[in-house]
Amino acid sequence: MIDLYSWGTPNGRKITIMLEELGLEYTMHPINIAKDDQFKPEFLAISPNNKIPAIVDTDNGQTLFESGAILMYLAEKTGKFMPTEDKARWATIEWLMFQMGGVGPMMGQTHHFVKYNADKSAYASDRYLTETKRLYKVMDARLANNEWLNGDSYSIADIATWPWVARHDWQTVDLNDYPNVARWYKTIAARPATQRGWNVPETEQKIPMP
Amino acid sequence: MIDLYAWATPNSRKVTILLEELGLAYRLHPVQIRLGEQHRHQFLAINPNNKIPALVDHETGIQTFESGAILIYLAEKTGRFLPKSGQARAATLHWLMWQMSGFGPMLGNLEHFSKLNPGRSADAEAHFQREIRRLYGVLNGRLGETDHLNGDAYSIADMATWP
Repeated sequence: MIDLYSWGTPNGRKITIMLEELGLEYTMHPINIAKDDQFKPEFLAISPNNKIPAIVDTDNGQTLFESGAILMYLAEKTGKFMPTEDKARWATIEWLMFQMGGVGPMMGQTHHFVKYNADKSAYASDRYLTETKRLYKVMDARLANNEWLNGDSYSIADIATWPWVARHDWQTVDLNDYPNVARWYKTIAARPATQRGWNVPETEQKIPMP
Repeated sequence: MIDLYAWATPNSRKVTILLEELGLAYRLHPVQIRLGEQHRHQFLAINPNNKIPALVDHETGIQTFESGAILIYLAEKTGRFLPKSGQARAATLHWLMWQMSGFGPMLGNLEHFSKLNPGRSADAEAHFQREIRRLYGVLNGRLGETDHLNGDAYSIADMATWP
C-alpha cells in the first residue's frame, strides 16, 4: 500500500496518474498548500523540502519525496513505464530529467510571473515565457519523429511532462502552435488513468483542451 | 571510451567530478557556450535541448544528455555512488532530483537576476533570493542530521549539488 501526500498540482498529478496507470492501491492524504499544510512537522518529517508530492510505501517502509524520484521508484517497483532495454531506458531517464530540470522549474516561474504577478516585472515575465516556448519547441521537434518522449513507448517521461503541459492555458501558450505536442497531449488526455489521476484530489477543473 | 561534451559550468563539473572519482577514461570535447557552440548541428544531434553536458559511451553505444541522467548512467555502469536498493537508493534519487529541479534551476535564476542583470527586476531578485535561502536552509538541516545527502555514503546526490 502506498500513502501519498499530495495536492492537485502538476507535480502532484504526475504521481496520481502513475498510480492510476499501475492500478496500485494508495491512500491519498491531501496536503492543502494554500493552507500551508506542507509546513506541518508531520509532513516535514517525510518531505524536509516542504514540497508535495511525497510517498511512504508501507510494503517496505521506504519514504520518498521529489516527483521524479517517486516516478523512478514506482517504475522500478513494478517494472512498468521505464523500459529495461538500454537505449529506451536512458532515453526515458534523460527526458524525465529534461522535465525535472527544465520544463517544471521554468514553467513554474512562468506561472509565478505571467499568471500570478503579471504586473511585477515585464522583463521576468518575458524571460520565462520565452524559455517556456523554447522548451515547447524542443518537445515539438522530439515528438515530430517519435510517438513518445523516449521514442516508442509511453513512459514516466511522458507522465512527468504531461501535467505541466496541461497548464498551457496558465502559460498563455497556444498548443496548436506545437502540433506534435498537441497530438501527444490529446492522446494522453484520453487515457482513462490520466482522467482518474487528474481528479485526485477531486476537482471541478476540467482538463484544458487546445 | 567516453566522449564528454561539456564546459566549465556547475552542471558539467558534476560529470567531470564523477568521471574522476570513477577513474574512467574519457575525452573532453569543450562546448564553448559563450560562443554559441551548443547550437551547432553536431551538438544538437546529441542534445536537442542545446545544453551541456552530454555524453557518448562508445562501449555501449548509449548517448545521453541532462547531468542527472548522466550521473545515474555512470553510477549504474560501474555500480558505484548509487546504492542498488532500499532507502539508501530512494534517498540518493530524491536528493539528486532535489538538486535537478530546485537547487540547480533556482541558483541559475538568481545568478541571472542578481549577478548578470542586477537592477532589471527587484521583485525577481527578492523572489529568488528568498528561495535560495530556503534551499540552503533545507540543505543545512539535512546535513545537520547526516554525513552525506543520502545518509551514510558519498553519492551522486552530493556530486550533483557540490558544484
